[in-house]
Amino acid sequence: MRNVWLIARREYLERVRTRSFIVMTILLPALMLGVTVVPTLLMNKMSSETKHLMVVAPESSTAELIRQQLLKLPEEQKKQAAETEGMQRRNPRQAANLVVDIGTDTSDAARTALTDKVRQKELDGVIFATKDGLATKKITFITRDISSIVGNEEIRGSINQALRRELLKNKGFTDPEIENAMQPVQLEAQNPSGRGNPLGVFFTVFSMVMILYVTVLLYGINVMRAILEEKTSRIMEVMLSIAQAKEMMAGKILGVGAVGLTQIGIWVAVALLASSPGLIAGADMLKGILSVKLLAYFAVFFLLGYTLYSTLCAAVGSMVNSEQEAQQLQFVVMMPMIISVIIAVNIIQSPGSTAAVWGSLFPLTAPLIMFLRIALESPPTWQIGLSIGLMIATTYGLILLCARIYRVGILMYGKKPTLPQIMKWVRYT
Amino acid sequence: MYTIELNNVRKTYDQFVAVDNLSFNIEKGAVFGLLGPNGAGKTSTIRMMIGITAPDTGEIRMFGEPFHRKHLNNVGYLPEERGLYKKMKILDHLVFLAELHGMAAASARQKAVEWCQRLEISDKLQNKVEELSKGMQQKIQFIASLLHDPDFVIMDEPFYGLDPVNSALLKNVLLDLKKQGKTILFSTHRMDQVEQLCDSICLIDHGKPVLQGNLKQIKSRYGKGNIQIGYDGDSTFLEHNKLVQSFNNYGSYVEVRLAVGADSQQLLQLVAERSRISRFELMEPSLEEIFIEVVGKANA
Repeated sequence: MRNVWLIARREYLERVRTRSFIVMTILLPALMLGVTVVPTLLMNKMSSETKHLMVVAPESSTAELIRQQLLKLPEEQKKQAAETEGMQRRNPRQAANLVVDIGTDTSDAARTALTDKVRQKELDGVIFATKDGLATKKITFITRDISSIVGNEEIRGSINQALRRELLKNKGFTDPEIENAMQPVQLEAQNPSGRGNPLGVFFTVFSMVMILYVTVLLYGINVMRAILEEKTSRIMEVMLSIAQAKEMMAGKILGVGAVGLTQIGIWVAVALLASSPGLIAGADMLKGILSVKLLAYFAVFFLLGYTLYSTLCAAVGSMVNSEQEAQQLQFVVMMPMIISVIIAVNIIQSPGSTAAVWGSLFPLTAPLIMFLRIALESPPTWQIGLSIGLMIATTYGLILLCARIYRVGILMYGKKPTLPQIMKWVRYT
Repeated sequence: MYTIELNNVRKTYDQFVAVDNLSFNIEKGAVFGLLGPNGAGKTSTIRMMIGITAPDTGEIRMFGEPFHRKHLNNVGYLPEERGLYKKMKILDHLVFLAELHGMAAASARQKAVEWCQRLEISDKLQNKVEELSKGMQQKIQFIASLLHDPDFVIMDEPFYGLDPVNSALLKNVLLDLKKQGKTILFSTHRMDQVEQLCDSICLIDHGKPVLQGNLKQIKSRYGKGNIQIGYDGDSTFLEHNKLVQSFNNYGSYVEVRLAVGADSQQLLQLVAERSRISRFELMEPSLEEIFIEVVGKANA
């Protein structure tokens, strides 16, 4: 046991100290933060400026109604953002400040003058509603930046609201009646366990599955590389004069696995920190999906998947003599993982399907598929238990088998072994 | 007491017999040469001694007990195939290997520094292995096999690829170990080094022992029928000569084994007629000659 510990510790320390580990650990969260935080900050900066708009309509009452509706915009944005659980990138607390003037001169001359003002940046936008325009529901919005400021969509909504209010008012409805009629319905989408919005679930779960896939693959291949390197650098001979082959294999798998857990641990910490309310826009999206329980399952399935695949990789690493030889075999070994990711897209849509159930029980696809199912629905406890049990049993069997291949393989140089030869290795005493 | 005993040890890989009924003992404090041509089974034998592989039949005893892995903490092994973790720092590497041998980290660290000073590489302690020359890496590995102060040291071609200065440095270390009563097993093709260092030898070929015992006794068994002749000229006249049983041409001199009953003075005359003689010496056969003769005979 002491040997296993020493070998694992060496592997861990040597790997954690490498530049590539540090870069990888920092870069990935940095990239993710970059994608979410930077646009938010940019949006905040843009929208915290004061926008100066002008509303022109034949009747000042019409213009005033539109003005009031526009001034409600920041307020509505805030509400809307809360309703959609942060799907809106805009940070509600810093929505655009609006100054809105009104006018009644709808002549062409006035229009030209106002257009000039927009061009000369005295105004940010002019809403120009002629009498004909109001009748045919065609209103002009003159702005330098057609795509933005407050958002054409929102302005259109405000005008719509204002004109409908005016219509209802003219028909003699009271203000509370109008308010009630104008209130939009809220559509709340839920999955059976009552969690978050579907788009958020999809992205969060899918990115977790991808991270699981990448880390299992990455660290499995790391084990293979490490063994291949030991073999080609011929340190094997020295090591074997002190430690047993199975101790070396165990130490290697544990050491590399600990590196993987460390990295995931750092990422999880960053994710938790980042999803603390208000820090980034995506925080609300993660809330309600990213539970401590799910993160724990993530760690469990990483460990199970990693151990399973790294054992196979250890056997592959001991068999071959070069990276090229390794790559062909590596592909075969990793095939079930690749298939898992491909079918994962379908399973996200129907996590309870027969294919999903079988996929989550078959030990080689279980690490990804079972995790996916746990994240999306709540599979029966017996299925989770059976899946984990099968994985542990398979891994145990593979360790026994691969340790035998490993023991012989690491001392074999030269030709790549054939399958019958490998079978023979397994039977050696 | 014997440090290691091999009794009728046999190892086969599929159809190939790597070691065939090999038996020898090494006495405590002896320097033992395990010799043989390439592929004779030297490495296979060593691997069985240190438990990398197990013999098919036969018994291996170490320090007077049946082989057990616990003995390995008291064995130092320098394999023929050198290898170290390339990215590791020298000091860390030495400490790591010593810890695997059961040493505590602190004392391993201290010992490693001392050894590096002795072998004149203490300025490289914080360098990575890959930054060192091959010869330096070999010295590191040499240290690694001795750091835990083993009673039994196995050296497979320890001087291979070293310059004379470093060879001498390592040789002195080995002689020192011998003085301390350590047992050394020495596997090599370099017969001159075996003659300088070993007390007894075992020469194996095709996995079988073909010659073994005390080096002095072996040499005297081959008698003084050998003559080294340094001369200018052609050596072809020695072929098919009735005075000569066999001869080896070493370039600057030839070593001649006289035929049974032949007189060395006749040979001297014969050579003197044909060339200028700078040296003519009756001597024990060199181990190399014995090696070639024995292995040649076995393969004939």
